[in-house]
Amino acid sequence: MTLRFVALLSVFLCALGVGQEAFAYLDPGTGSMLLQLLLGGIAGALMIVKLYWARLKDFLFRRKSKPRDRTEQ
Amino acid sequence: MSGSISHADPASFRDPAGRVFVKDGRVYRAIYESALDDWTFTVSSGFLDRLAAAGRIVSFETVRSDTLGADAGDPPLVLEHSRLPFVSYPYEWPFKALKAAALHHLDIQIEALDFDVALSDASAYNVQFIGARPIFIDLLSFRRYREGEFWIGHRQFCEQFLNPLLLRALVGIPHNAWYRGSLEGIASADLSLILPFQRKMSWNVLAHVVLQASLHRSAMAHDDMVDARAIRKISLTRPSFRSLLVRLRRWISHLVPAGDEETVWGDYAKVNSYTSDEVAHKRAFVAAYVEQTKPSLLWDIGCNTGDYSALALEAGAKYAIGFDFDQGALDGAFERARSENLRFQPLFLDAANPSPNQGWRQAERKGLRARADADGLLALALVHHMAIGRNIPLTQVCDWLVDLAPTGVVEFVPKEDPMVGKLLKLREDIFPDYSVETFASSLGSRARIVRQERVSPEGRTLFQFDRQAR
Repeated sequence: MTLRFVALLSVFLCALGVGQEAFAYLDPGTGSMLLQLLLGGIAGALMIVKLYWARLKDFLFRRKSKPRDRTEQ
Repeated sequence: MSGSISHADPASFRDPAGRVFVKDGRVYRAIYESALDDWTFTVSSGFLDRLAAAGRIVSFETVRSDTLGADAGDPPLVLEHSRLPFVSYPYEWPFKALKAAALHHLDIQIEALDFDVALSDASAYNVQFIGARPIFIDLLSFRRYREGEFWIGHRQFCEQFLNPLLLRALVGIPHNAWYRGSLEGIASADLSLILPFQRKMSWNVLAHVVLQASLHRSAMAHDDMVDARAIRKISLTRPSFRSLLVRLRRWISHLVPAGDEETVWGDYAKVNSYTSDEVAHKRAFVAAYVEQTKPSLLWDIGCNTGDYSALALEAGAKYAIGFDFDQGALDGAFERARSENLRFQPLFLDAANPSPNQGWRQAERKGLRARADADGLLALALVHHMAIGRNIPLTQVCDWLVDLAPTGVVEFVPKEDPMVGKLLKLREDIFPDYSVETFASSLGSRARIVRQERVSPEGRTLFQFDRQAR
């Protein structure tokens, strides 16, 4: 299962390779890098959900308030 | 510049961008060409000045670039740092000190992002202490943050800060012995093996310990399937980077030792065989010694929660380092130093097995005796633990103590005392020579006994010695 997971991750990484190549005297370790990708991915996904949640609320609020706007006009 | 030779610090070899040198007792940092851009950027960001002004990093001043000369490879830039009172290592720190150092590191990283600055590593050895106050010392770790970069020091942070803390917080094992044998810290794979199942069920433990270890293991096992070039291009957005640091900080700030904490010695200051008269007597003796000698660096061996170190500082000692092997006592001592803002630093030490010279070429991390020359010593209620608890001949205990500092106060606890009675309760008394007379003559042959006072009816006796006046 972990094998499939790593394979999947590296495919994902190839598609995602947009960052700057990092050089350091320290070896960051593959496990740490994959984990950060995962955590970053989760944080990114949460942000997207949050963003869309705000848009959804915004959308619902506008639809509700629109008729009232008209009567006020 | 002419003058004496500069000695490269044997612990400063990992990052070729710079090196630390000691010359005429002053500390310099050579910065080489490859690090110059990052250094200029970091300094001009204003972040370092801000940290230095708050005492959160070691202070620095640019000096003439030929200060170190050819010995240092003619660096284009040389800084001078203020000297620390004492250098200590994470395997000597009590839990609370390691935790304070971890939070200090994370706080600096989190704030650095606002200045477009990042840290190139996460070594626990880059944090030192003045009293209980952490101070970051490796200024070459600071460099320009590159948009999208991930946290290079994450694994090192886990091994050198997080995992040792979790070992005590989740399993109840103090980190000191393991860390001392494994200078790079505790590997996530190793910690993962000993964590109980229910402890692994926390999201943070699962991610930073279990998953990190298992990802690393499977990536190593299926090397051909992992595209290293793609991995090196991983990008982490700035908000994700910050959130990673902030979440770790929040988690670590809540960590406490498992079963916090009923150790034998933590309550010793309250529960012992002294009466308050005896304590007053003992305090007066110690205070008189310190007032007379005013030590600039005092070693308090067997410091417990730091009562006598605090007293010594009040009486005029400049800096005190307390050593003990009891974790509860050490955490109490650290808390005292922090809350009362004392120039007192408690460290873990088994007096029968002090920190050795070790690491690369056995010079990277220095042994206790090689690191500083203390000029004052307190060894109260210690000698019986070494002589009877650990079978060290009384004469050798005297040799060791007198060698540690030129002057000091040593307490002798006789067999009649209930505390020694406890040590002998289950074993044969093979110590016919253990007596105050033997001790006095042994100490007297190595140093002048300045004063000697009996402080309990059972015969506890304090000795003030002076090695030089002999």
